[in-house]
Amino acid sequence: MSITASFRHFLLVGRPADGAVRLDKVRDARIDVLRGLALMIIFINHMPGNVVAAYMPHNYGFSDAADIFVLLAGVSATLAYGGLIEQRRLAVAALKLSGRLWTLYIAHIAVFILVCGVVATAVTQTQNPLFIETINIQPFFRDTVEALIGALTLTYQPSYLDILPLYIVLLALFPAIYAGVRVSPLLTLIGSLTIWRAALAFELNLPNAGAGWFFNPFAWQVVFTIGVIIGRGALVGINVPRLRWLDVAAVAFIALAWWAKTSTGNPTGIAALNDWFDSVQLGSDKTNLAWSRLLHIGALTWLAIRWLPAGTAMVKSTIGRAFACAGQNSLHVFCVGIVLSIIGQIVLAETSFASGVQLLICAGGVTFLTGLGIFLSWYRIITNRGASAEPSAGRGAALPRPSFSSR
Amino acid sequence: MSAAADARCRADAAKSPFQPSLPAARKALQETGGLTVVALGSSTTAGAGASAEDRSYPAVLEAELRRRLPGAEIKVLNKGVGGQSAYDMLLRMEADVVAEKPAVVVWQTAITEAIRDIGEEKLSKILRKGIGIARTGGADIILMDLPWLSREGRYPHYDDYRAVMRKTAQEQGVPLFPRYAMMKGWSNSRQFTSEELVGMDGLHLVDAGFRCLALRLADGIVGGIGNVRIDAAGGRARPTN
Repeated sequence: MSITASFRHFLLVGRPADGAVRLDKVRDARIDVLRGLALMIIFINHMPGNVVAAYMPHNYGFSDAADIFVLLAGVSATLAYGGLIEQRRLAVAALKLSGRLWTLYIAHIAVFILVCGVVATAVTQTQNPLFIETINIQPFFRDTVEALIGALTLTYQPSYLDILPLYIVLLALFPAIYAGVRVSPLLTLIGSLTIWRAALAFELNLPNAGAGWFFNPFAWQVVFTIGVIIGRGALVGINVPRLRWLDVAAVAFIALAWWAKTSTGNPTGIAALNDWFDSVQLGSDKTNLAWSRLLHIGALTWLAIRWLPAGTAMVKSTIGRAFACAGQNSLHVFCVGIVLSIIGQIVLAETSFASGVQLLICAGGVTFLTGLGIFLSWYRIITNRGASAEPSAGRGAALPRPSFSSR
Repeated sequence: MSAAADARCRADAAKSPFQPSLPAARKALQETGGLTVVALGSSTTAGAGASAEDRSYPAVLEAELRRRLPGAEIKVLNKGVGGQSAYDMLLRMEADVVAEKPAVVVWQTAITEAIRDIGEEKLSKILRKGIGIARTGGADIILMDLPWLSREGRYPHYDDYRAVMRKTAQEQGVPLFPRYAMMKGWSNSRQFTSEELVGMDGLHLVDAGFRCLALRLADGIVGGIGNVRIDAAGGRARPTN
């Protein structure tokens, strides 16, 4: 059977054409490298107004690092927990998943407290009330009890503290999405898109102090689901067909996005397109996702799967290895990155956005965050070396971890 | 609140005049005896820093308009969401503003854009689009200027963004509520403690600042409506100054 037919078969029924789920040991460094890269971009973008942020991908395309982050979260959740579901039982995977959800929740609360403390310190030291405005942290000072309850129930999310709650909800939905993808990736995707469009039509969102979640889970589950489908494909060893026309279409769409984002006004002169150019230049709807966003991340994903070298090729270079280390420790790097970027915002304002300071903060932050990733990877190797001597580290430890270091 | 405390809100009024013309508000009062104001904005509108819900500027504005337009059915809807940018508000302009069929829209915005330095042309476009949508129901729009900051050097482009707001308001024929000039005046008048005015340490309450904001806005709105006879709601009163 040709690759195309086998790919089609997978899309319809979620397994290879020969029916055997082989569970390939997936070691794809692309995931870690891209995730690490996305984390660095998120860090830079979380200090708006800095000169480096003006060159980040959202200025040249409809999607940005958040889309990549959520998509890769879907991929790696599938490689970790999907593999576990196949090898062991659902109950074991569910237990492990619950443990992970708890960790994410605690991490979110910890970041929340740290950020409140950082901002409170900054405001009392600098007398600049705008720090509260930019991070939307006033509810915490106005009614601490209510805000604390809101933080614990994820119904109060200050700016920048909205990605982890989304991740928690999506990961909690993972077993259901994965079950769907096992039966049929195509039907699951259609269902996922339907939920998104329906939520849009009925204005569904989870509550967040005064408005909805900045990342509407009803919308963003689409990106996560696409990640789960890709992860499932990798898990059962599906190859994507060489669709030249799709390559061309993807490149054309990315070029169109680049052109639309970097021109001023409507360069075509076609009056009917005025509104479209305006709307994409002003921003794309991040809360509810937008077709332009979804197509853009879809095009990037297709090209990454087709043309970025699989296996360990991307970690041959030092910089690739450094990003991969950050990507492997994404939760830690992300959380530290949030706190650092908010400290960075404060320093930038206090130094009147002096360009030297801007570059220093960006470079220093990225260095620190990759250093943290490298340290944590090293730390795990060191501590695991001792643990592997213990007799209990038998079957359970042999999970196919989606990283180049699992060899 | 004592009259003396309120008087200081107007102490420097000549230097920050706000005399909008509000034909839609006048028409609504004449024809229906009611006036719906939508206060669209970020944390200043939501009431960040106020000690209680009824101390936010839209709540004070509602109470003040009711007092000064007796007999009229006054509603001031608080559509403030903390931390939102002008673009975020543009996205909810239909649902939160147009759907409420207001006669007056007070749009407090652009602080996030100024701090993030998103580009002056971009802000101008967002404001134009927002005003365009808000107007579809025929409402009078009032754009609120950025707040005065005790130290502006932190944000080198702050004044450029204020200029964008001023210019856009002018081009669109929309009155600009001179919040910046007013706050600066209050600060110079030395009749306020710094905590009272903007909560200088940021964590204290800013009730006094919100109250002054609402009073000056009410002055402008009542003045902009002019003398009308309010019948429909049963009252026979005239607006008082």
